[in-house]
Amino acid sequence: MEQALYIHSTDQLYYLSEDFTRLYFGAEFCERLIPSRPELETVLRIVRERDLDFTWMTPFVTNRGLGRLEELLPVLAQTCPDAEVVVNDWGVLQLLRSEYPQLKPVLGRLLNKSKRGPRIMNIFNQIPPSTQDYFQGCNLDVPSAVRFLKQQGISRVEFDNLLQGLKLEGTDGSIRKSLYLPFAFVSATRFCLTANCDDPEKMDSIGVFPCGKECLNYSFNLYNPVMTLPLIRRGNTVFFTNESIPDVVTGQQVDRIVIQPELPV
Amino acid sequence: MKILSPLDSIEEVDELAKAGAGEFFCGVLEDSWYEKYPVISINRRPAGKGHFRRFEDLKEAVSRAHARDIPVYFTVNEHYYTNAQYDLIKWYLDGAVDSGIDAFILTDFGLMQFIKEQGYPAAIHISTGGTVFNWRSVAFFQQQGASNITFPRHLSIAEIADITAIMPPMETTVFVLNSRCINIDGFCTFQHGLARKEVLPMFKNACMLPFEVQVCSRDMNVPFMLQASMIERQRIWERVHVDDHPCGACAMYEFQKLGIGSMKVVGRGNPLERKVLDIQFLKRLLDMLDGNISRSEFYQISRKLYQQTYSRQCRSHMCYYPEVMLDGAGGT
Repeated sequence: MEQALYIHSTDQLYYLSEDFTRLYFGAEFCERLIPSRPELETVLRIVRERDLDFTWMTPFVTNRGLGRLEELLPVLAQTCPDAEVVVNDWGVLQLLRSEYPQLKPVLGRLLNKSKRGPRIMNIFNQIPPSTQDYFQGCNLDVPSAVRFLKQQGISRVEFDNLLQGLKLEGTDGSIRKSLYLPFAFVSATRFCLTANCDDPEKMDSIGVFPCGKECLNYSFNLYNPVMTLPLIRRGNTVFFTNESIPDVVTGQQVDRIVIQPELPV
Repeated sequence: MKILSPLDSIEEVDELAKAGAGEFFCGVLEDSWYEKYPVISINRRPAGKGHFRRFEDLKEAVSRAHARDIPVYFTVNEHYYTNAQYDLIKWYLDGAVDSGIDAFILTDFGLMQFIKEQGYPAAIHISTGGTVFNWRSVAFFQQQGASNITFPRHLSIAEIADITAIMPPMETTVFVLNSRCINIDGFCTFQHGLARKEVLPMFKNACMLPFEVQVCSRDMNVPFMLQASMIERQRIWERVHVDDHPCGACAMYEFQKLGIGSMKVVGRGNPLERKVLDIQFLKRLLDMLDGNISRSEFYQISRKLYQQTYSRQCRSHMCYYPEVMLDGAGGT
């Protein structure tokens, strides 16, 4: 089982121990937090020095964020030509396919649409097996979906550790799977509640507005009993924590564990 | 620019067409699906109202719409489907095509590929679940054979302009009325409608639930007012999805200049009277755009008409494109 460390800032490099053979680095949910070129170069240098495999994490992006990635991808392609790139945006995939075919696209968590809302657990034992299978499953058991991924050059898909469990038995074995621990994303927004959260005058500014990257300082625990466990908002994304090791790990249906020592951004 | 209207029954076709609908979108949900998947819809609307119940009815509705030169789009827009569902899905796709629909509205890439491989004689429209935030995503879906994309609610007018300025040829749809969604549809994995309406905490959208908030700071130094202000902010957030007439009508002025093709009115399941009111509201504004009206005049008229139609003032958290309110001329 491959073990990868996932960080979003060079400050977090101290988590890098000998347990890890791969490093994930980048922003997954917000284009404003895409690392700078010097940060990327620092990380790529360490990857080279330690002989690690590398995965570049990319978020969903507007044209502006796309421009940021277009500045950084030449650095990545030149320094680490066999790197993986996690795509959470179809436009980023289009960019990779057209400009950087040597880089390996990986389908990110945002494009893997499994249902994560914890409320499912309140009714899970009361719904028909067909519905349980849906909530534990994904579209990777659909032949047309697998053909689509292969046409796009994608041979790996990223998974969250679902509270209701993951069933991957019927999925295509040629598509490899990674499992993220312990944080699972549930939902993301661009109407970021964290943006300007310490400015009372912007209390009702719920839309796409500039921010001061307050997410780097604050996160928010969210409690409602129907959710069965606390949710955590960091930046524009809501997560839950699930530290249990699921059957898909022991059954070797995933071949990579991606450890998030801190909430991603 | 056309008004894309929800459609739930045969009887609604003529009334909505008269009101000004230029396109229809709709879905079918039959008992066979609901028995097997009681809390999962095939088209992101819960069981009950908001669907045609039989393909025979859809066929008649399509026939009436086509007689008025109005196309009808069929929603199969759940974010993903598993292989076990495909026998039923194929039955739905076949039924929709037999009914004469003009396009499928979809999100799931497996379904998109399936429809292409099966050669169904209907166009592919990418729903807001397709998360098209940039011009390359438009190019991607164009390469996949889609002919229309719906922009997410979470793009500003300027960002939409940036995309349309350089994207390849593609028909486009934007939201302008009802159901402003606080999370990005295509990236939201909460499941709604897990119980009937009587069990509200399970039925309601997760973003509308009242959450207690606890602020955590990296340096353990939480500003005194932050806890209170985040609780208040959370309360505002929870009201955003409340269907209290969220609106983006002012932005029609820019959208027409950008060449946007369709303005989507959310509202499958709304009463016919509400649908007609919504369509008439937008049609009156759309007609004004045909004249030589300035932006500021249009903003003023659209806000006044909104207040008259819905007995509501413009409110920032109910504004689809709140940047228009920062340009002055009203709003709170």
